[in-house]
Amino acid sequence: MKNFWYLFAAYTIVWSFIFAYIVNLTRKNNALREELHDLQLYLEKIVSKKEAPQ
Amino acid sequence: MLSRSAFTLWRMIHAVAMYVVVGLALWMIFVYVPSEKGQGLVQRIFYFHVSSTFTMSLAGLVAFVASIIYLWKKAPRWDNIAMSAVEIGTLFCALVLITGSIWARPIWGVWWTWDPPLTLTLVLWLIYVAYLMLRANVQDDTKRARFAAVLAIVGGVDIFLIYLSIRMWRTLHPKPIVIQEGGTTGLPPSMFWTLMVCFVAFLLLFFYLLRERVFLAQSRHDLEIIRQEIDDTLKG
Repeated sequence: MKNFWYLFAAYTIVWSFIFAYIVNLTRKNNALREELHDLQLYLEKIVSKKEAPQ
Repeated sequence: MLSRSAFTLWRMIHAVAMYVVVGLALWMIFVYVPSEKGQGLVQRIFYFHVSSTFTMSLAGLVAFVASIIYLWKKAPRWDNIAMSAVEIGTLFCALVLITGSIWARPIWGVWWTWDPPLTLTLVLWLIYVAYLMLRANVQDDTKRARFAAVLAIVGGVDIFLIYLSIRMWRTLHPKPIVIQEGGTTGLPPSMFWTLMVCFVAFLLLFFYLLRERVFLAQSRHDLEIIRQEIDDTLKG
């Protein structure tokens, strides 16, 4: 088991970096999707308010 | 264009295939393939180090081509693809440098040496970091995309120089053994097939990350358009 810790460190770092990147990407994507959905609803609301007869 | 349900199904198939192949790659690295006689256990870093190099080069190539098309057609979609590829390229370039350094310590006796391929890989990482910093700090959209495209093209040239430096110069870094001159491989079959499975795993991972990152960039673009529409509606 000579040099085991070098192997362990290399694989831990590779998967930690990739995992952190995927988590970060997913978190940002979900937040943006929610914001996009909310803004679309808001836009529809103000457009329908403007088009409604006074 | 794919319909929404077909796109969701495709994403699921891609994700399942990615998990299966990554699992298979890990099994082959730690169970199937024997240890190399000279280097022992630590040689197994080779499989992810070379696969990371492959992914870094692929990301660099995508960024290079997308940037050229952006400069030619000026379509924001190509700028989004180039930016996403550079971000993923930066991640894998960092992994190449880190795993290479960890592998070098027990084999060469040093963490780092100013060998041409290593130095050029560090230069590539710095180019990509500069690219991301430039994107974060330039306000004008057109200027930002144009300058960034030039940097991504310079990064593409640097990747070509890395491969050239390994083949042409006498360096501490080993010569290519996966595919040698004459199209033969210098690896025994078990090592060769383990590496091929790792390549497929990283290829699936790369396209998964690229698709998610491009989607993020596209969503940001859509958000700006909706904000503008809201402003116009409120003013008008």
